[in-house]
Amino acid sequence: MRKVAYYKGCLASLSAKELDISTRALSPKVGLELLELERVTCCGAGDIHEAEPDYYLHLNARILAYAEDTECDTLMTVCNVCTLNLRQANHQLKGDAALLERVNDNLAKVGVPAYTGNVEVMHFLWLVAAGEGYELLQAAAHKGLKGLKIAPFYGCQILRPSKLLGFEDPDRPSSLERIIEACGGEAIDYPAKVKCCGFPIIQAREETALGELIQPIEQAKEAGADAIVTPCPLCHLSLDAWQTKLKKQTGKDFQMPILHLSQLIGVAAGLSDSELKFKRHVVSVDPMLEKLSV
Amino acid sequence: MDAKHDVLVIGAGCAGMRAAIEAHDAGADVAIVSKLHPTRSHSGAAEGGINAALGNSAEDSPESHAFDTVKGSDYLGDQDAIEIFTREAPADIYQLEHWGAVFSRADDGKLAQRPFGAAGSPRTVFAADITGHVLIQVLYEQLVKRDIKVYEEFFAWQLVEHEGRCQGVIAWDLLHGGLKALGGKTVLLATGGVGRLYRATTNAYACTGDGMSMALRAGLPLKDIEFMQFHPTTMYPSGILITEGCRGEGGILRNSEGERFMERYAPTAKDLASRDVVSRSEQTEIDEGRGVNGSVVLDLTHLGAEKILTRLPGSRELAMVYAGVDPIHEPIPVRPGAHYHMGGVETDSDGLTEMTGLYAAGEVACVSVHGANRLGGNSLMETITFGRRSGRAAAEWALANTTVTVPESATRDAERELKDLLGRTKGERPWQIRDQLGQTMLQNFGVFRREEQMAEQIEIIDELRERYPTVVVEDKGEVFNSDLTQAIELGYLLDVAACMLQAGIARKESRGAHSRPHDYPTRDDENFLKHSISRWQDGGPELTYKEVRMTRWTPEERKY
Amino acid sequence: MQVALKIWRYDAATGDKALREYEVDAPEEATLLDCLDLVKDRQDGSLAYRKSCRMMICGSCGMRMDGGAVLACKVRMYDIANAGHVPVISAMGNLPVIKDLVVDMDPFWTKFKAMKPYLQPGYSQPEDGKEHLISQERMNVIHKESLCINCGCCVSECNAMESDPEFLGPQALAKGMRFVGDPRDAAKTERLDEYSSEHGIWECTRCYFCNERCPKGVDPRDAIAKLGAEAMKEGIDDDMGAKHADWFVHSAKTTGWLRETELVPKTQGIVSSIKEMKFAMGLMKHGKVPIPFPPHVAEGVKESRALYEIVKEQDRQGALGIVQGERALSRIEHALEADPDHAAASRIAPEEAGGSAGGAEA
Repeated sequence: MRKVAYYKGCLASLSAKELDISTRALSPKVGLELLELERVTCCGAGDIHEAEPDYYLHLNARILAYAEDTECDTLMTVCNVCTLNLRQANHQLKGDAALLERVNDNLAKVGVPAYTGNVEVMHFLWLVAAGEGYELLQAAAHKGLKGLKIAPFYGCQILRPSKLLGFEDPDRPSSLERIIEACGGEAIDYPAKVKCCGFPIIQAREETALGELIQPIEQAKEAGADAIVTPCPLCHLSLDAWQTKLKKQTGKDFQMPILHLSQLIGVAAGLSDSELKFKRHVVSVDPMLEKLSV
Repeated sequence: MDAKHDVLVIGAGCAGMRAAIEAHDAGADVAIVSKLHPTRSHSGAAEGGINAALGNSAEDSPESHAFDTVKGSDYLGDQDAIEIFTREAPADIYQLEHWGAVFSRADDGKLAQRPFGAAGSPRTVFAADITGHVLIQVLYEQLVKRDIKVYEEFFAWQLVEHEGRCQGVIAWDLLHGGLKALGGKTVLLATGGVGRLYRATTNAYACTGDGMSMALRAGLPLKDIEFMQFHPTTMYPSGILITEGCRGEGGILRNSEGERFMERYAPTAKDLASRDVVSRSEQTEIDEGRGVNGSVVLDLTHLGAEKILTRLPGSRELAMVYAGVDPIHEPIPVRPGAHYHMGGVETDSDGLTEMTGLYAAGEVACVSVHGANRLGGNSLMETITFGRRSGRAAAEWALANTTVTVPESATRDAERELKDLLGRTKGERPWQIRDQLGQTMLQNFGVFRREEQMAEQIEIIDELRERYPTVVVEDKGEVFNSDLTQAIELGYLLDVAACMLQAGIARKESRGAHSRPHDYPTRDDENFLKHSISRWQDGGPELTYKEVRMTRWTPEERKY
Repeated sequence: MQVALKIWRYDAATGDKALREYEVDAPEEATLLDCLDLVKDRQDGSLAYRKSCRMMICGSCGMRMDGGAVLACKVRMYDIANAGHVPVISAMGNLPVIKDLVVDMDPFWTKFKAMKPYLQPGYSQPEDGKEHLISQERMNVIHKESLCINCGCCVSECNAMESDPEFLGPQALAKGMRFVGDPRDAAKTERLDEYSSEHGIWECTRCYFCNERCPKGVDPRDAIAKLGAEAMKEGIDDDMGAKHADWFVHSAKTTGWLRETELVPKTQGIVSSIKEMKFAMGLMKHGKVPIPFPPHVAEGVKESRALYEIVKEQDRQGALGIVQGERALSRIEHALEADPDHAAASRIAPEEAGGSAGGAEA
């Protein structure tokens, strides 16, 4: 079992609890032992990075410091935004000794251990898309997706900026496709799979956001997808919870189920209903599950 | 006439924009005609810096700057113009800074100044290694602030002379198509250089000697047209520039034996000797078998990553993309490439040409500030100082005169020529002539010039000029017909080349960038301390000479 | 080497659009631009595209290769040709196409000019008429923004602008930050006010396409974040986007975790939230609207509260908080070469994955 520090972030704690629950249930099956970080806070998302960037750096340094404190070399995230935020902070601290010193001084003042740069931040997606994690996933997905058509939606901040994330080609990524195929599903290709769901501006500029949101949903629907899978709970929130708003705007009722990555793999690995918590979704996942049970 | 203005500036590089800004501030209605959007102009590719005797880095004075410039010019520069230049330069730099130019700073917060070729004191103000880019940006910002009209992507084709004055230009609207007659009480050429004559050049595709040729065809003289500067550090095969600033920051040129060969050729200044000296040294090393695949190498590896990443990041990226080397770890192969034209349209110190109402500033002009060889950093300064002076002069003249007329005949003649050019369906495509011109100029009229090769080149140019009237423009459309404009540009190149060769073969000495080590290896002040003057007469170049204006300095032996 | 290209030809006058394939014999060092020149010179003189410097500084040759904007002069064709890949070349996005690869840059320059992109120095000039004395460190605040060559690659891929063509966009806003961060500019507050308008800072969707596509390392998204930081520091925070961001800060320093439920009324205001009741009910049914009481407080939240007070005192407020990280981030590639262990997570190469080569269309 590979021990990793686990940072679940804000959404997985509350409105997207199903992400945390399914991740915990799935992790042992793919060789991951999760040590959840207790003393952490919100990573700040793009918002604190924009509003109070120095505070953003310190909040993330604190998360990294507590991760390092567990003696794990990997901090696992389950959200695109957390991943970018933590990796960006990590790069800044590791690449500038003077900055690291200043931040550690401040952390010390509030009783947080110093961060020495020995943690690598990895999204759960990356841990299971290649290497040993992938092999274990292949073995675990014995129930399979029976040829279900799944449209991968990456979202922005797991791919770009690629020099901070760097796991795969940002223009032609393939990690989700590999996982879908390993789970026995058919991966759907469509242009908007690497574009933005609009979540960051879904409140402040709703119309613009919906103009973005409709693209992956419409394209996936047209390509015959049974469901969309995404590694980001923020994308999940807009794709799932805001899907009804699209109906209002366009008159189209897409009824496209949106799955968290851990849920998709979880279905193939035979997780129970109480571990998947699909009833927490706004758009019903039933049509997809029915197809599977046939 | 489709429009009229007080001042029409042709070209939107540093000189053109600075002139337009000044003309505007002098109260004139000014418009710029440019075949590129202003920020695309080649001034933006300048890298190393801009010279002025600010004295921020060490003791300096305009006199010292002037002497370095005079010596650098191999005593062909007009000293009265040079004195004006170095005296007014500092105020021009401060003006740019007040407008917001993003220059690099010294530890005390002043403008940083780096050492540059043949400079007695470090006086090159810079912005990392993208100085030209920074200047283009600040000038464009000031242009936008004044809401100065730009006829963008308008290709200036023919000067209009009427009643003894230049009164406008016939231009081709590249974006939408169609000939336009633009009237200007004064016209100011700021069209840059002619590096595209050479296969290996630092210059952009746009640098085709447009203004030089237009002036030539309008009967005006080109001065010192045989003097093309070969920049010592350009990359193979295109000639893309690696700034002199690399040597200013401590970079060293080496031959195949790893030797710092400049110690032999210029014991004092070494790698920061004058550009013509360095280019000749490199070429000699290469010719004598101490090159590496036809290049020497520029070694920055001892500067350390930090210095390179802070002071020379642009150069690093260029080397990585175009030469496939990271200068932090490996030396960059470099060789001489055509870079800057010292000669050009003859003007006085206010940018006025022989023709009333016609001005010129920047690389297209020859005041002459640079004589037979230009110092690095002086060209950018020239664009600003003389751009300003000529902009004001053009504005003042225009404001004191009321009429402007572009006769119908000018438009009709241009239309007929255009119809001819576009109507051709049989002939050759321009690229063949262009490529042949580029290769042969590099071979026969490069760093080292020989009598036989120059004679051969004259014949080659004659033959190319004979073939030119048969070129076929495939694109017969109106919208964005760059096939047409490129064909016209080729014509400009051929005219300037003819003048260059005539003046070059006639100059029986070696001075500055004109080097004839095999037959005339030394400078001949007795017979050739004079400017060559080339005019277009009866379909070909005609050569005369003119005195050099000297004030303080008498020619001495030029050693570095 | 043989290089094959597919180019989208377009004639605005007739509306004819066609994907044509060309093959050229190019030297090994050829760039995409060199190949276009070969096509134009020797096969089809009507191919229209902009070019000038061919050394990544003039910004003329922005165009899309396989759906993503690049500078044609920056793309070396060797690896592409060797892999047998035939790239699809098309005009940049988000701008009207005039002909083939030539776009109408008017909307681009109009937005640029809307930023009042020139120094507004106010009344104070250096007394001796010489330069303002400014440290290099202070000028570095706008170093990245000053690198912009106005090529349009960022604008081409901007997701927010695709949805709302009136969004000012990454290039204009980055230029705005160039002035907001310039110590010689006296119009900071007016600028921030202007840039915080409907189609300004807060309409950026944070897709990071601009950072990804910029060929000069400007990182426009970060410039926009700097503008947001400066706006909020100046108290220009009326916009919903600002209020949204503010609530994240407030959450971090009170409960540690994001106070999700209150986010809507705090961002949109009570009136708007009431209008959203029906929508909110739909979410509530599925537990998507967590009850804010008792608040979900993070363990050790005292630390994040205290940290807030500490950083508030220090001199990295506003944009400086982002600028401080730039040095390290600009050295990432360099560090990768020097120390492979410092590398990003292991990369999946496309060939290894065997995944689809889809993505954005031409």
